[in-house]
Amino acid sequence: MNRRLRGLALFLVACYGALFIRLNVLQVFDADDLNTQPDNKRRIERDFNRPRGDIVTADGRLVAHSDEERGQFHYQRTYPTGDLFAHVVGTYSFNYGSSGVERRYHDQLSGRTADFQLGGITNPFSEEPNVGTVVLTLRSDVQEAAKQALGDRKGSVVAIDPRSGAVLALWSNPSYDPNLISTNDDSVAKAARDLLAASPDKPQLARSYQERYFPGSTFKIVTAAAGLESGKVTATTPEFPKARSYQPPLTTRELSNFDGSTCGGNVVDALRVSCNSVFAQMAAELLGPDPMIKEAEDFGFNQTVPIDLPQPAKSVFPTDFGKPLRDGANPGDAKVYENTPALAISGIGQGDVSATPLQMALVAAAVANGGTTMTPHVMAEIRDRDAKAVEKFDTSVWREVMTSANAEVLRSAMVDVVANGTASRLGIEGRVVGGKTGTAQLGTTPPRSHAWIIGFAGDPGAVPSVAVAVIVEGQPGASEQTGGKVAAPIARSVLEAALRPISSPQPGG
Amino acid sequence: MVAIIIVGAYVLASLGRSASIPANIGPFLGVVLGLFAVAHIAVRRLAPNADPLFVPIAVLLNGIGYVMIARLNPDLAGQQAAWTAVGITGFVITLAVVRRVRSLERLRYTVGLLGVVLLVLPLVPKVGTAPINGSKIWVRIGPVGFQPGEFAKIALAVFFAAYLVERRELLSTATFRIGRFTTPDPRHLAPVIVAWGFSLMVMMFQRDLGSALLFFALFMTVLWVSTGRASYLIVGTTLFGGGAYLAWSMFTHVQTRVAMWLDPWQDRSGKGFQVVQSSYAFAWGGIGGTGLGLGVAGRIPYEETDFIYAVIGEELGLFGSTAVLIAFLVLVGCGLRAAVTVSDPFAKLLACGLTTLLGFQSFVIMAGVTRLLPLTGVTLPFVSYGGSSLVSNWIVLALLVRLSDEVSRRRPVLDDATTVITVPA
Repeated sequence: MNRRLRGLALFLVACYGALFIRLNVLQVFDADDLNTQPDNKRRIERDFNRPRGDIVTADGRLVAHSDEERGQFHYQRTYPTGDLFAHVVGTYSFNYGSSGVERRYHDQLSGRTADFQLGGITNPFSEEPNVGTVVLTLRSDVQEAAKQALGDRKGSVVAIDPRSGAVLALWSNPSYDPNLISTNDDSVAKAARDLLAASPDKPQLARSYQERYFPGSTFKIVTAAAGLESGKVTATTPEFPKARSYQPPLTTRELSNFDGSTCGGNVVDALRVSCNSVFAQMAAELLGPDPMIKEAEDFGFNQTVPIDLPQPAKSVFPTDFGKPLRDGANPGDAKVYENTPALAISGIGQGDVSATPLQMALVAAAVANGGTTMTPHVMAEIRDRDAKAVEKFDTSVWREVMTSANAEVLRSAMVDVVANGTASRLGIEGRVVGGKTGTAQLGTTPPRSHAWIIGFAGDPGAVPSVAVAVIVEGQPGASEQTGGKVAAPIARSVLEAALRPISSPQPGG
Repeated sequence: MVAIIIVGAYVLASLGRSASIPANIGPFLGVVLGLFAVAHIAVRRLAPNADPLFVPIAVLLNGIGYVMIARLNPDLAGQQAAWTAVGITGFVITLAVVRRVRSLERLRYTVGLLGVVLLVLPLVPKVGTAPINGSKIWVRIGPVGFQPGEFAKIALAVFFAAYLVERRELLSTATFRIGRFTTPDPRHLAPVIVAWGFSLMVMMFQRDLGSALLFFALFMTVLWVSTGRASYLIVGTTLFGGGAYLAWSMFTHVQTRVAMWLDPWQDRSGKGFQVVQSSYAFAWGGIGGTGLGLGVAGRIPYEETDFIYAVIGEELGLFGSTAVLIAFLVLVGCGLRAAVTVSDPFAKLLACGLTTLLGFQSFVIMAGVTRLLPLTGVTLPFVSYGGSSLVSNWIVLALLVRLSDEVSRRRPVLDDATTVITVPA
């Protein structure tokens, strides 16, 4: 019987051995997979029971903080600035997930990156939890200026430092209070969320970088850049005919100039008064599809903007203009394509062109920064519990848009638009300010338009330190004056705020 | 040593939950040490030559289980403490009453009948309760409810051992031919078959799969060890396969169990919930565990009883779950060593049967919780919450202690040949 008892022993040992292997599979090899199952709430619960780092603005204003509380979880996320930074900071909700910076920099905020894990080992006796504080590039004074200037009107304001890509303000109205969605009280959070979702204005949508609009005449900067880069256009040549309207090939429909005025001349003259006929003709006949597509894409159209915020919308420039049909009317012109009329409309920022306010701010920034677009970003640096920076945003070039010489032509042309043209309301005493207005007609009756302005400002002789884009949606009227009247004052107060020295910089920043 | 581990674990669990050392640490320490001392002294007095590993291992498992229960549900912890006391009392009484294992051999039919009665008891109207969690395995006498099946298995182990010793010669002599195979005369097997079939039937009616599986394993093991006939294993496995298929086709809850074993994620918030959550608990524990009291309690249904191993896996990690595994393996090793060394055939078979009960039951539930096997609801011996289980396992332990004591008493000098069973741990 002993032989069989040993057999039994072996059998049981085999059973337990299999069990041991199974334990290893569950607890080691498959653990990551199991921990990240969507219905496994352990990881997210742990995060909600841990302290979480603050989010502060560049000028030291606290915009997100975790308060200790006695409830379902140990901490409650609060946003002291309410709706002001909602579209940047986002929300942090147990049931509805996170968004914005809360989502993008979750690992840093929860102290889960290697920096913080190692920091926790080197100083294991610290009482302070080792989580990261995210310092934003945004300034609360600039953001406040944007909010106040836009007021109750629907629209967006984007301000950016062209030299670094640092976003200084990113505001759109309507906004929402992230406190309501992020509350641990699920019934309140659900009600707030349902209410926001039901609103036709979509307050949770960050229009500034997640919504597209016709860019209207602000897009003429892109068309002008395409002309300059193609070599067919210089600051003084060619001279386009003075006309009240322009009739593209293959159609009898005419594109008229604003208010029936007559305009023409070189590219600088045309930008000054925002002459539709010139830019429509430049795009459709002189340049043709390929240079226009290339330049728009160099500016960032049809690309995902690599901003460090979730889900930015792509700006769109059409890429299909059909087959070439015949040679152009004048020597040096591009071929006429099946869809050349559409290209004419696209050249003045209507038709199938659409852009986010962020994209248009980047257009102004590229001109201001000598033809180079820097990668836009909202995170300046991550600090540890000792306020030491452990991670800084790596400033980098996103796109080389045009030569610095061509950028200089456009820069002075835009300064001229402010000095002598449609963007006169943008001027700031003692500063060099450039701009371009836009009135994107919506084709409604009575006529309504998106009032646009893009621009930049800085000290004389220096690279402009701030670029801006403003859109005010659905304003009455279709005159080119609309953009200058409605949007320029907003952009101006934002530029002024951004040009003021930063009020109370954080220590160590 | 074991006492230090348990008390340390208790303090840690409380710290993890409420960041304070429990106020009742003094009494707790006293009770744990006291109970351990009682069990230890009882062994020294009543079975001085017994294997010294049995009691500490059982105390360790019992203690870890208590800490986990206290951490999950403080209300149940008080009851578990009381049941531990009853269990150790049962342990001492068993040691005191059963001075010689052979005395049980003489009572085989009485014990066998007792086992049968205990098994049927829950089905008797008035005494048995309404089905709890789908199983009719509870009996309520006055204020005390218990599962007689837990005790029936001891009785049946005794009966099987005694009966098979008596008939062993006959059973292992091939007298009956079926084609090329020779089997013992079926007549000699009849009582065993009847006992087995009967208990299996009861289990089916009571819808207690785990126990049915356990009884079958006990029966097959003891039969095979006593006769050495592989044909029994073959026939038995076939019988079991048929029975399992029958159960599968007859009962939807068996089908559910199998489906949830193969892929619990297909109904992760419904029927597969327990097993899925159990997997998550193990995964979350990882190698080192979350720390006592720091896991996510209240997530798995029946985490104090059937699923307590998942809580151990979560809070103590792979280290803790493996430690418990090794503890059971050591217990099994000790039991089988006693079986190998003891010379009396009845004692041998009894040790084999009791060890099989302990070893298989632990394996079946740990395998079920980790989804190695389909889940069958049995308790994890000594660890799970539950009075009947705890008391019956302490009695099983008392019998094993008694058996190992007899080994040494009869053979004061162990020769090397008797210790070849090695226990990889």
